[in-house]
Amino acid sequence: MTDIASDYSQLVLEHFRNPRNVGSFPAGTVGVLTGMAGNRRHGREVRFEIRVAVGRVAECRYQVYGDPATIALCSLLSERLRGLSVAEARTFGIVPLADELGLPAVKRAAALVLEDALGAAFKSYNSVSQLEPLRA
Amino acid sequence: MATQPIYLDYAATTPVDPRVAEKMAACLTLAGTFANPASQHAPGRAARALVEAARAQVAALVNASPQEIVFTSGATEADNLAIKGVAHFYKDRGHHIVTSRIEHKAVLDSCKQLEKEGFEVSWLKPDADGLIRPEAVEAALRKDTLLVSLMQANNEIGALTDIAAIGRMCKVHGVHFHVDAAQSAGKLPIDLKALPVDLMSFAAHKVYGPKGIGALYVRREPRVNLAPLIHGGGHEQGLRSGTLATHQIVGMGEAFRLAGETLPQEASRLTALRERLWAKLEAIGGLRNSHATACVPGILNVSFPGVEGESLLATCSELAVSSGSACNAADAEPSYVLRALGRDDQLAGASLRFSFGRYTTEAEVDRAAEVVTEQYRRLKALIPAA
Repeated sequence: MTDIASDYSQLVLEHFRNPRNVGSFPAGTVGVLTGMAGNRRHGREVRFEIRVAVGRVAECRYQVYGDPATIALCSLLSERLRGLSVAEARTFGIVPLADELGLPAVKRAAALVLEDALGAAFKSYNSVSQLEPLRA
Repeated sequence: MATQPIYLDYAATTPVDPRVAEKMAACLTLAGTFANPASQHAPGRAARALVEAARAQVAALVNASPQEIVFTSGATEADNLAIKGVAHFYKDRGHHIVTSRIEHKAVLDSCKQLEKEGFEVSWLKPDADGLIRPEAVEAALRKDTLLVSLMQANNEIGALTDIAAIGRMCKVHGVHFHVDAAQSAGKLPIDLKALPVDLMSFAAHKVYGPKGIGALYVRREPRVNLAPLIHGGGHEQGLRSGTLATHQIVGMGEAFRLAGETLPQEASRLTALRERLWAKLEAIGGLRNSHATACVPGILNVSFPGVEGESLLATCSELAVSSGSACNAADAEPSYVLRALGRDDQLAGASLRFSFGRYTTEAEVDRAAEVVTEQYRRLKALIPAA
């Protein structure tokens, strides 16, 4: 079937067709945290980058291999994290975003992959006393 | 107003040809030939005459005798009747059936039902070309085999089974041979006087006829017996009871007649459209799953490396095509046929089946190529470097 309109909400379709903030920060950008999760052999892989400035999320970028649910979640998350403090972003609940997108039960595993990616990104934040410029 | 997608899913179903619809409409209302074909009065006899003329049209496409055509509600019912009908009628002679893992659900589920009843089924696997070879069938035959059931043209990749060779082999072994020809009738020449096939299923809706009507060819020479599935009045020589739907039958007859009229020209035209699309998809890295020559003219199945299948299908929403997986939001099951071709889960999942038909134009094919090219590149651009 090509009619995903019957499987997904309008919000998913909007973010799937017009994903926001796709890509990655240029090499040398200061304050970038990167987290990767998932495995494309299992159907979902996400590289999520968060640029932090003055203790807050300035902007996000991501690259994603996955179904429309995963792409939509990345896009929505990239918008919602903006402006949050690091503490808020670190504990941001992605499962409620899955609710907001109205994802069917079987697609909600995408939220777990994003949680893992976010966790991996903030793990690297703990281990540096000062944020290093992003390496290529 | 949103425009309709470009329809490239003719293997799933076809629109009714207006000429067919016109014939059908004449059988519906008070002013038309609406009577029960079993009635003895003049209106009934008029309806009966239309039914028998349509039966002859269906038979003519496949060079069968009209008496060998039994109307059913579709190919699914025809498959059920053939498989269960043979099994139940001949159950004292044997209890083994041979089929393949890549058959239509109507065949698979009928055989699974017979397994529950105590029959044994051998499920053949396709070879690396997606084909079921005669040698594989022969190797599976046993002394108690009652039936071999195989599709002539695979609905996913269009690959053609050598039903002549398999039929000859079944005859030698004294085994009945049923062929599901839903995807092939009206697209390839079929001559049932020459082909050693005992039973053949047809669907009207694959050939510009209405949904809800099909037929089962039941050989008379030598006679094949069947236990009927549906009782209640003894219609269709006792094989399929139920008041005959004149309008449906007339529709099927006219559809089969029209298909026969243009079969070779359509085959060439659809082959050309198929190769036109393939050239453009090959250029962007697509991998061909359907055989280049041993294939029904109108089917092209292509896998696209490196992208997720559900997203590929969803992003090509300007096209009405099928995917290579039974994929929807609820579950995703990579195609058995594509796995048999050696495609891994990603390639099997990220495949599109394009199927062309009577109303497909070059402009539509070119636009389909543009859409797929654009969306495939868009998805690839989202993906992290490996």
